Amino acid sequence: MTGTKMRFMLGGALIAMLGACGNVDSEEGSIPGLLAEAARQSVAQRGRAEAEVVAKADPGQMAATALRVNKGPLIMVGLERAGTTQVLAMTGENGGQRTYMTENEQALILRDGMLAGTRGLGHDLSVAEMAQSSALIRSGRSGQANRTMRYWTGDGLERPLKLECSIGPGPKPGVMIEDCKNGPLEIQNSYISQGGRVTVSRQWIGPDLGYATIQELRP
Amino acid sequence: MRAHSTLTRRLLASTVPVALLLGLGANPGLADPMIGTNINGYGIPGAIDTPSAEMLPDATLGATLNYSDLSRKNALVFQILPRLTVALRYARFDSRPNGNSETRDHIWDRSFDLRFQFLDEDPNGWMPAMAVGLQDFMGTGFYSAEYLVATKTINPRLRVSAGLGWGRLAQDGGLGSPFGDRPGPDTEEGGKPNVDQWFKGEVAPFISATWQANEKLALTAEYSNDIYACETGIAEECPRGVWLSDKDELKNNINLSASYQLGENYQVSGYLLGGNHVGLQFSVAMNSSQAPYPSGIEKAPAPVRPRVAPSADPDGWSGAWSADPTAQPAIQKVLSDALDKEGQTLESMSLSANRAEVRIRNRRYMQGSQAIGRTARLMTRALPPSVETLVITTSEDGLPTSSVTLRRADVERLENSEASQIANVAVISDADPRPGDLTYTDGLFPRFRWALKPYLSTSIFDPDEPFRYEVGAEAVAEYEFVPGLVLAGTVRQRVLGTTKQEAPGNLTVEEYEDMDTDYDENGVPRVRSDSRMYAGNSSPTIPRLTLSWYAKPTETVYTRVTTGLIERAYGGVSTEVLWWPTNSNLAIGAELNRVKKRDFRDVFGFRDYEVTTGHLSAYYTFGYGIRGQLDVGQYLAGDKGATITVEREFANGWRVGAWASKTDLSDEEFGEGSFDKGVSISIPLGWGTGEPSLRRVGGDIRSLSRDGGSKLRVEERLYDKVRDSQAGKLYQGWGRFWR
Repeated sequence: MTGTKMRFMLGGALIAMLGACGNVDSEEGSIPGLLAEAARQSVAQRGRAEAEVVAKADPGQMAATALRVNKGPLIMVGLERAGTTQVLAMTGENGGQRTYMTENEQALILRDGMLAGTRGLGHDLSVAEMAQSSALIRSGRSGQANRTMRYWTGDGLERPLKLECSIGPGPKPGVMIEDCKNGPLEIQNSYISQGGRVTVSRQWIGPDLGYATIQELRP
Repeated sequence: MRAHSTLTRRLLASTVPVALLLGLGANPGLADPMIGTNINGYGIPGAIDTPSAEMLPDATLGATLNYSDLSRKNALVFQILPRLTVALRYARFDSRPNGNSETRDHIWDRSFDLRFQFLDEDPNGWMPAMAVGLQDFMGTGFYSAEYLVATKTINPRLRVSAGLGWGRLAQDGGLGSPFGDRPGPDTEEGGKPNVDQWFKGEVAPFISATWQANEKLALTAEYSNDIYACETGIAEECPRGVWLSDKDELKNNINLSASYQLGENYQVSGYLLGGNHVGLQFSVAMNSSQAPYPSGIEKAPAPVRPRVAPSADPDGWSGAWSADPTAQPAIQKVLSDALDKEGQTLESMSLSANRAEVRIRNRRYMQGSQAIGRTARLMTRALPPSVETLVITTSEDGLPTSSVTLRRADVERLENSEASQIANVAVISDADPRPGDLTYTDGLFPRFRWALKPYLSTSIFDPDEPFRYEVGAEAVAEYEFVPGLVLAGTVRQRVLGTTKQEAPGNLTVEEYEDMDTDYDENGVPRVRSDSRMYAGNSSPTIPRLTLSWYAKPTETVYTRVTTGLIERAYGGVSTEVLWWPTNSNLAIGAELNRVKKRDFRDVFGFRDYEVTTGHLSAYYTFGYGIRGQLDVGQYLAGDKGATITVEREFANGWRVGAWASKTDLSDEEFGEGSFDKGVSISIPLGWGTGEPSLRRVGGDIRSLSRDGGSKLRVEERLYDKVRDSQAGKLYQGWGRFWR
């Protein structure tokens, strides 16, 4: 009953999203037809019917292929504990919150590049409330912040993990470090920001999933 | 965090961070009480034969096998409340041949324990944790004992327990009888709480210490006044002569054990009783809050699609589209297809310029809130921007139960926030039974489903043969003409097994068939005691073939009519009505059935016994997921009485309960056990696999099939059908809204 196995598919699956506009079919012209088509496209976006599978590729190749095939925003995510790397494509954007998904529909949710949630990984982060940290990190300022990470626990509830964090520049120039702790638990996130958003980072997801490295491939 | 917490949680907690996560729940005031890791011979926290004041983590289910040459004890334990532990034991002890069992030299006996921790330890002061317990407190009482115990953590590695015991715990070293003499055990039909014995007779002290040598190994020593009097032939301390056996007497009162932790869930230990009897014990425990995949591994939901600015879509925002009669069918088709991929069936839909209602059947998610959250997000993706009010009504196979009303702007604004925020702005109300503007999804009805699969049925606790099974093939089919009107049936073909046709009592099958009676020697109808006459059939059987009609005549009233072959032993007509406003903790129901006993072998034949049976029922949901149910009425044997059921349901869908029925049949007429009672457990399959599913595993552990207090076994009674989507359960599992 150890359950930390990751469900990320290994290797070189890549994401090919449907184009933003499809051909309007014979219902062209009628309002309901357009609505229905828009709805269908919208709903189908997450289906990624044109997904192609390529042979195992190294992350660089994976990224290059994904950038070629897919026109939308992309990130590359590595899960350290599981030893997997995948390219995720944006499937939704709502009020500064972006949902990125793998081809088999596991998701990371980011706010300005800061990890805000995961879906479909088995030990998901429901939501990270980290506005204070985010403001400091993205503006390169030092300071103290509280963050709350909420998880779905096996008892069927959503439970919070509160962390006290201190934020400051790291030893490498341009890298901000966020040290957080709660009792015996200590974690360290690191971020590189560009244009007010985090573009490269190593962020802690939770006790079972460990750290993720997140790199923006296309904004 | 208390200093000893990592150590004490070791048995069940996996890692420090997870323990931390659970320990830092939203309610710091509800911290766990003192948790024990060492399991004693009775399957609950303690030393070897003596108890402690410790609890298991809330909602822990465990099992223990304990074997020595003095006893064999198999126990199931459940932490039903943070401070209340219950145990059910099936133990074998040697016995001299007697009136009940001329042929056996041993008895398999069931027994129950309860332990309540009424005082928690003060980790910084001197105050210990204290508990009171009843061991084997009803029925035969071979292991019966009562105790008051205190446990103190001396340091993170050492815990000491001391207490006073009565009954078995005071076979030796008695200090006197403060509450009078202890009457002898119940030698009649058994099965009743032995209230007259509790805390009576001699009282004796016990003490134990458990030293945690390292993370895996614990060493325990105890001084116990349980000297196994019956097992070792000490007649003056053994309550009944027939329990006496002739094993070697214990040399002293000291017991020693070493227990070793294997992984997170297993514990194995060896022990030495009184210097001359050795034993082995194996325990397994799982905590319902520690699922392998706590969040589930189902795919991510489709994200919310926020609306474009009105200037970018003036037609969509104006609502003019709603005048076009082709708009709704097109949208409904798209939404239906998308919902189908999420495990939801779009039964019907209404759509106007600013309001949309969908009626969904949840086929996938144990928490209704997850189905609703996913539906809400898909609605934001499929509906024109002028639609602001989203109504999501759950249909339980055609019965519309509750409606969740959401503002679309709230869904957009609160996506992926703490679940309580959307809960605060969602409104849950009784579903309108028949709104005029609903349109059924094309091609849904009539609906036909079928499956062909293997089945395994087991029966346990038979004193002669504790485990029986049957394996075979099963065809299940269901035809729904219109929502709520269902023809359903099952055909089974046995392939192999150890179950066989058996007559009640000591009769052979032929003798019983020749008697051609449906009554026992006391004149009580044999409504269940001959249920094995149905077993072991090598030709096809039809356990069930029914036509059912479910309806909702008013906003708060549900009805059911079921007719046909209702269960393996009865056919006829069953009717039911249930009043349950969705936001109410109270529900009231009534059931009336007229049934006839089915033939043992002829699939469509009936026997002569016919009866009217039915109940008035009240259901009440207390806090903590606890619900109580009281049924009063006439049972299958025509006996009148009542059934009390208490059950706790956790947010993750685990259910654990117990029930007892008492009717106007006398104890003698009822027979062994005196009245019908049992415990039930039900675990969602998805809890174990991570894959979302409505399937459950589990079952009832009941007393032997007796005739008193027996109910008709109708599938899908109304309360069970609608409970998961009523407001109370939706809110309990609301944390999954954004999953």
